[in-house]
Amino acid sequence: MSEKYIIQIKNLTKIFGDGVEIKALDGVDLNIERGEFLAIIGPSGSGKSTLLNQIGILDTPTSGTILLDGVDVTEMSDKKRSITRNKQLGFIFQYHHLLPDFNALENVMMPLLISGIKSSQARKTAKEVLAEVGLADRMDHRPNQLSGGQNQRVAIARALVNKPSVVIGDEPTGNLDSKASDNIYELLRKLNQEHNQTFILVTHDVRMAEKTDRIIRLVDGRIAGNSKNST
Amino acid sequence: MYELFIAIRHLTSRRRQTFFSVLAVGLAVMLLMWSQALMVGFTDVMYEKTVDRMAHVTVEPQEGEDYIHLYRNLIENINGIDGVVGISPVLTGAATFEYKGKNKNVAMQGIQVEAHDSVMFINDNIIEGSFRDLEISPNSVVVGDALAEKLDVEIGDTIDASFPEANPVNLKVVGIYNSGTPMDETLAFTSLSTVQDFLDVSNVVTTILVRGNDRERAQAISEKIDTFGYPASGWKETNPEIIQTLKIEGTSNAITLGLIIIIASFGIVSTLFMVVMEKTKEIGMLMAMGVSRRSIMMIFVMESGILGLLGAIMGVTVGALLAIKMGSYDYGFEVMAGISSINFVVRFQDAAIIVLFTFLLNLIAGIYPASRASKLKPVEAIGRD
Repeated sequence: MSEKYIIQIKNLTKIFGDGVEIKALDGVDLNIERGEFLAIIGPSGSGKSTLLNQIGILDTPTSGTILLDGVDVTEMSDKKRSITRNKQLGFIFQYHHLLPDFNALENVMMPLLISGIKSSQARKTAKEVLAEVGLADRMDHRPNQLSGGQNQRVAIARALVNKPSVVIGDEPTGNLDSKASDNIYELLRKLNQEHNQTFILVTHDVRMAEKTDRIIRLVDGRIAGNSKNST
Repeated sequence: MYELFIAIRHLTSRRRQTFFSVLAVGLAVMLLMWSQALMVGFTDVMYEKTVDRMAHVTVEPQEGEDYIHLYRNLIENINGIDGVVGISPVLTGAATFEYKGKNKNVAMQGIQVEAHDSVMFINDNIIEGSFRDLEISPNSVVVGDALAEKLDVEIGDTIDASFPEANPVNLKVVGIYNSGTPMDETLAFTSLSTVQDFLDVSNVVTTILVRGNDRERAQAISEKIDTFGYPASGWKETNPEIIQTLKIEGTSNAITLGLIIIIASFGIVSTLFMVVMEKTKEIGMLMAMGVSRRSIMMIFVMESGILGLLGAIMGVTVGALLAIKMGSYDYGFEVMAGISSINFVVRFQDAAIIVLFTFLLNLIAGIYPASRASKLKPVEAIGRD
């Protein structure tokens, strides 16, 4: 089983409670295959981002389990979670969230440096990945010197540089025009096929969702639809 | 060490904040360094003017005795102690000096001029005549300038010395000294034999004064003399107020300036808090990239530490230069105990301690904002705007 599924979510519940309790996730069960390119859609407040944060171990669930490559991430210590985020997960957010004080190359090197890789090796790898996302000639630029689309490519390079098994995108094109969105989508798709990494994208963009392998539809914290795209 | 890489980049990216944080610490440290150099310099002058002019060790008669009888043997033994550079046997007696109807009670000290000079540097204080004449002409005396004025005597005049139960004697004034102390009015020197005759005693003394090659050796020397059977005390025991004064001044000085540095360091805390607020999203993203809470904490503590270290090094350097510059300046009027320049002493150990203290203080000050940063929740920090 665990060979086939990179992520197995069982009965995942997340309740936000500050006076009034809100069930953001209500018993979600979901298995995701290795190398899958998956879209999570749903109206605002349906729990898409909450689910994504759980998968990204940025947050802890109220109950339920998440197995990442067969290991339960909900039981991990802070240190273990950090290491897992660094080595197995890549994040792309709606806003690039690049470090403003560092140039593109340094931003992409950062996950490698965090994992303890030597600076010279990190530089080499980061350059390769930046070239792969088409930014070989922009490496010395800081985020405020790059366009939205370019920054998002740097963010993608950063998410991929550690060769994570799962890449998580929270509306990765939500802040871009449709042409830039298409380009980013093509890039993600290409990387997905070349590296056989699992991509999980939360999106509002129906056009984009339709191009993925599978669409998970969340409503009120439950899975309301789970359909494979024929393409 | 990517933590250090990030910390340094944060500091170099917000140059203005960094500059002012370093400046604040630097100014406080400068003041401390400068004032420490002044304090040490002042202490040195103080020692020079007091301890260095007094006997390091004073030996007294054995218990129940008025005099040290076999003082020559004792001197030989003391001479064998490591670090002793001067020994002076002294016989002191009270006397009434009278000259042309004016009189004054004084302490009359019988000395061996050469020996006494090796301990008390009396020759430095002579302003008229000579101490050496005490040994050339019998029944001669050297008086302080204040005493000379009181009695209205000059060199060559003869004073009548008397005291109950003493043999009256006529003493010719052969020298006048000025030590700048109240002694100048109450202490007169004659030869040892003159006082012995005056008091009608055999060849005895009341005190033996000893000088060591280093004032800090006084304790060791006096302990050694104790073992010869004679009570000896170092200058710290005979003049405890000197050490007390210096200690009190030094301590109050250190407290005041230490507080200034603490205030400057806590200025860094508030700056760091602002930085943590500003960088909340970045911190969230760093956590998403796999930076542990411990490392987040380290980044911000390092920032505080680096600011403190830079400020400390800058402050110590400027403070030391300022002290050296001011120390070599001649003010043209008396600023300190008879000298027209201020004595600053810049010691490397002071600089090192100040730098270390400031650095550690800033590391500690950085802990609070740093721990706030490390406790951010990644999801909330990254936000969703």
